Amino acid sequence: MTRKNVAVFTATGCKACENAILDIHYQVSSLARWAHFTFWPYVLGSSWEDLEKSDELDVCFFAGAIRTASDEEAALKLRQKSKILVAFGACAAFGGMPGLSNLHPGGESALCKSPSDDDCPELPPLRSRVAALQQIVQADYILPGCSPPQNYIWAILQSLVCQSESAARISFAASRLPQPIAQAVMAGVLPPGGSIFAGEKAVCASCARIKEEKRFESFKRIHQIDPDPGRCLLEQGLLCQGIATREGCGGLCTGAGVPCRGCFGKAGAVFDPGAKMVSAVSSTFDTTDGEEMKKIAEEFVDLAGTFYRYTMPAQCALLQNRKELK
Amino acid sequence: MANISIGPLRWQAEPSRVEIRQSGESVRSYYQVTAPRDVSSMCKGRPVEELPRILSILSASHHLASAVTLDNLFGVTPPPTAKNIRDALVQSLTFIHHARKLLFLLSSSQNPFGLRAELAVRAGTSPVAHHVLDEIGHAMALAQEAASILGGRHPHPLTAVAGGVSRPVKEIHYRRLAEIAESSLPYALRLRDIFREKIIGSGNGLYELMDLTVSPIASITFSGVEDAIVLTGADGSGSTTFTANKTTDTLEALREPWTHLPFVHVKGKTWQGPISDQSEGLFFVGPLARLNRCKPARTPQAEEERLHLVNSLGPAPHFSAIAAYWSLVVEIIQASEIMKDLCTEEKLTGLEVRTIASNPGGQHAHGALEAPEGFIYHHYQVDERGIVDDVTVLDAASENNALRCLLTQKMVEDAFEHGKPWDRAKKTIELSLLPF
Amino acid sequence: MNVFEPRIITFLCNWCTYVAADAAGVSRLTQKTNTRVVRVFCSGMVDPSYVIKAFAEGADGVLVGGCHPGDCHYIAGNMKAWRRSFLLKKLLNELGVEDERFRLEWIAASEPHKYAKVVNEMSEGLRSLGSFRSSYSCPSQTPRDHEKAVQSSPFS
Repeated sequence: MTRKNVAVFTATGCKACENAILDIHYQVSSLARWAHFTFWPYVLGSSWEDLEKSDELDVCFFAGAIRTASDEEAALKLRQKSKILVAFGACAAFGGMPGLSNLHPGGESALCKSPSDDDCPELPPLRSRVAALQQIVQADYILPGCSPPQNYIWAILQSLVCQSESAARISFAASRLPQPIAQAVMAGVLPPGGSIFAGEKAVCASCARIKEEKRFESFKRIHQIDPDPGRCLLEQGLLCQGIATREGCGGLCTGAGVPCRGCFGKAGAVFDPGAKMVSAVSSTFDTTDGEEMKKIAEEFVDLAGTFYRYTMPAQCALLQNRKELK
Repeated sequence: MANISIGPLRWQAEPSRVEIRQSGESVRSYYQVTAPRDVSSMCKGRPVEELPRILSILSASHHLASAVTLDNLFGVTPPPTAKNIRDALVQSLTFIHHARKLLFLLSSSQNPFGLRAELAVRAGTSPVAHHVLDEIGHAMALAQEAASILGGRHPHPLTAVAGGVSRPVKEIHYRRLAEIAESSLPYALRLRDIFREKIIGSGNGLYELMDLTVSPIASITFSGVEDAIVLTGADGSGSTTFTANKTTDTLEALREPWTHLPFVHVKGKTWQGPISDQSEGLFFVGPLARLNRCKPARTPQAEEERLHLVNSLGPAPHFSAIAAYWSLVVEIIQASEIMKDLCTEEKLTGLEVRTIASNPGGQHAHGALEAPEGFIYHHYQVDERGIVDDVTVLDAASENNALRCLLTQKMVEDAFEHGKPWDRAKKTIELSLLPF
Repeated sequence: MNVFEPRIITFLCNWCTYVAADAAGVSRLTQKTNTRVVRVFCSGMVDPSYVIKAFAEGADGVLVGGCHPGDCHYIAGNMKAWRRSFLLKKLLNELGVEDERFRLEWIAASEPHKYAKVVNEMSEGLRSLGSFRSSYSCPSQTPRDHEKAVQSSPFS
């Protein structure tokens, strides 16, 4: 079997996604049997010239949000050069936390100053809005998560790079995937285009906390209460986004006693995560009196920044592609 | 007059490149960070209790620094168990952080993902056998497991909340932690041996950087005792101390139009731009800064290693690349020893891990932490509903920014002088920036 | 010059407001023609995502009409709509949608005059507020290099 040409690149973001690839336990070095890393600036110091000289890439893992003009250029270059382009991690998939700055567009002017003397180098211009990879070029697969969990990194490597030649961890990786992807992984063929390497249902499906359909009379914030370990966080008055978020993490955050913030993006059946959350949270108000409803609703703070924490550029239906805010 | 652009740089968390402007005999380099972190636009308008999770994108230790700031904001003291859990998390993060840098150093001249067969062919050129890298990788994987038990997730932890941590360590987890702590010390010592053999022993492990030093500059560390931040003078003496709430009075961030990363320097002292080593306001943070405080290490074997360093290189302060890498080794041993100490039943287990804030919290708060990568500082300004109005975050990258520019300029000048090809210059720049 | 005509999407309950709207038409009450009516079986089934989608697709205002509290054909559907409306308004507000653009009104079958009044009021209000500029479209259809992207994708 010939080795695949693989590229890894991060646009604007932290390097956690790339570190996550390094971190797939010590077996990462065994990847060399299947993958030839032709372009990986972070670890191998590859330059853009190296990319131009190299053959066509089989798989490119693209992490990070599109914030600057050079990020955009990188996305176009890598799309052109790669057979398969993967949006790797929440930033590339949905815009991630850098995308929160889309709520207050205009802040970037403070960041982008014109050079004082003519000779000093220029910075790549900032886009007016942060975008996800998908909004610039088409990505073939999506691997969500901030950062993506190891089992899905394995799954995607298995299915795109190793094409199931490696037995290691294969069943482990496939066991949590939706059936079409899992079958493709096991059969050694490419999964359907556009597949998201994560579960299908909402995080609640894999969260161990018990739901009792209880209602609350007031909204709580995480520093105000020590939530009951076994019970649903939303029903204890905390804003937990599990119900609107794609599963796959296994309820990592809720398991640690911290509410979900949606780093896997919206779940399959959800149109807009914010709308879903409004409906889910409102249904737990324990009142039939308009004044009281109003009072409870007023206790909530920063809905937009919470419901679209990782997904503002790509999944907030209202802000997507909007030219400007008033 | 020629313009040269080198990049993107290897191993840098920020997307960065080096721009070189050359005219006649003079050469000027710009260490350029090409994308903004812009955490303030992420944080403004968010509820303040969300900041630990948002700021963890800077690095895992910012998650903890943010939690410390929240403790101060709400005026709560975490119970001892919670403090230990947080401290143990810092230690495992230190292990991962330093091990990664050492892994990068040891694999700098080879492709860590190259085929074993290929490596064997090039055995003469590559100083480190592949199985050694595997071994370090394995040690890091263990430390990551510890970090994800303690922090709930890795590399973006989430358990630290105002007043403690969000959940106690379960017995099954505690046992695993004890196992990991037990086995990470031998790994750290093994790393020490590899470092001694491959880097110091061979005499050329750092290639052209064996003799690299910068001129003496001040350093800043956080002592952790009564919030004292220590500014150690360039000659290793004359240290001044200030408290966390005086940080913004003492330090100042400056922006240059050609980079997104600000330059932090000492207020009221001379500042002659990022590539001058003559500024009195210049300082740096990190493992070497901690070494330059001349305090004994916290644990016996680390202290032994520190003394070995002092015996070989002379007494601190040090400003050489070799000392910077060596300080990583000292600290990785220290981290594993402290982990071993911390991971005892009475220190990590216990149900009381959180103090709930009884008051609505103040309007602003400070927090400081000595993170693996150096001293970091947070300041939040919030409104009466606990919504963030303003944040100030000093991270190690912007504190060391001036030093990085200095090092870059030095390496570029050196390359220019000796007529080195730029791709080799790139490698030396990357290696010189890595330990800071 | 074209006069700005706001587009108002109305979700009307089959059992009350829809009948009122019908009656308003039959009784030839003067009403603005900016509404696009969607008949639903209960105001309680108007999920917040319908409202957000309407705005995202270019609506300038959304009106949800339901039965008065206590009169719901399905006992408590309108309470559900009511409960959601507060948070929804707050979220819309944070995303740059002004309060006037979203209204939840109780209009019984016997209140065609109220219906006409609400529609006229809202239409006037939005006319002075201006268009809600939104160019929602599926992201994969807009990028300038989409064609190129498709060509190099194995799944085209």
